[in-house]
Amino acid sequence: MEIKTSELKRVTLFEITGRIDSTNANELGEALNTAIDTGHTQIVVDLSGVEYMSSAGLREMVTALKKVKRGTGDLRLAAPSERVLEVLELAGLDSIFEIFPTQVEAVGSF
Amino acid sequence: MDEEYRMVIPGILSKVPEVCDFVVSVARKVGLDDRAAYHCQMAVDEACTNIIEHGYGRNNPGGWIEIICCDKPDRYVIRIVDDSPPFNPLLHAEPDPNAALSERGRGGWGIYFIKKMMDEATYAYENNRNHLTIAKLKTPKNLAATRGAGLETGTPVRPLDKGYWEIIPNGRLESNTAPGLQSVLNGQIESGRVRLVVNMSDVTYISTSGLKVLVNTWRRARERGGDVKLAGLTPHVLEVFETVGFDQLFGIYHTVDDALQSITDEAA
Repeated sequence: MEIKTSELKRVTLFEITGRIDSTNANELGEALNTAIDTGHTQIVVDLSGVEYMSSAGLREMVTALKKVKRGTGDLRLAAPSERVLEVLELAGLDSIFEIFPTQVEAVGSF
Repeated sequence: MDEEYRMVIPGILSKVPEVCDFVVSVARKVGLDDRAAYHCQMAVDEACTNIIEHGYGRNNPGGWIEIICCDKPDRYVIRIVDDSPPFNPLLHAEPDPNAALSERGRGGWGIYFIKKMMDEATYAYENNRNHLTIAKLKTPKNLAATRGAGLETGTPVRPLDKGYWEIIPNGRLESNTAPGLQSVLNGQIESGRVRLVVNMSDVTYISTSGLKVLVNTWRRARERGGDVKLAGLTPHVLEVFETVGFDQLFGIYHTVDDALQSITDEAA
């Protein structure tokens, strides 16, 4: 898994590629946590490069979402693959996260 | 005898991706499609992660996990064996996918995904070991469209309902292309797929060599209790069949759906 972080005008963008599983989900959790702790609470996670995500990855994103929602922030998802979207749907997370088909739409939604 | 594939890993998280690759490669080998293979991967990943994190304990390596993948005629079975303390994950309370964000805890989803994504899951504690057995059925929905027997004939083979398989040759079926089709059809028959519908709609021409291939296959399928039906013949190809009287031999149908429909009618 690789995480690329960019500061946009209103949004912190995380572009993730590869696999998110129990061997590395904590890295994603820490990256999100660090951003949120330093006041970056408007977050887009671009999942277009994620080929596989297990429940360990979902757990970190739900934890981060809870944290930003304590304030006025939000964490929105962009461009999950068909497979990853099915995982989100099975866990009922498609009604918990705002999910956009493209990164541009997710970033533009803030 | 069913084909078995086996792997043993030490009970540490960094080894789990190797199990995932193993399970996916066997899933593809037995014919599952991307989605079904993904489900198998995720179920095994979640099961192994739970064994390592809760069974053995993150800080207590030394245990092992054995994964046995078995290719059965109608299903892909994966058995996960470990010797951590007895624990039946299938009895674990399930999290609620309708829960609001504030009601969501951090855990419990792994087992939920195993149950949702696999068609079967059973647990047994035997010989002082946990055995979790999960399976994906080889229904048409879970199987990939395969290229016939790995030949470069470009003849797609795909599962239909009622245990039938559709073979889709194309182009001119004559002396130089007939052997390729024969290999594809032989491969089907030998792997136990004896109920075939040959979709002829893209076959533009058929010679006696081509006819011979279909008759050979029809005979071999019949000997094994199967059948070969033909569908979608172009008028020219149909005329060839009629000229030699083979339209009396084969069940010939306008479409693949018509061919399948006829099977219900026969049964009824």
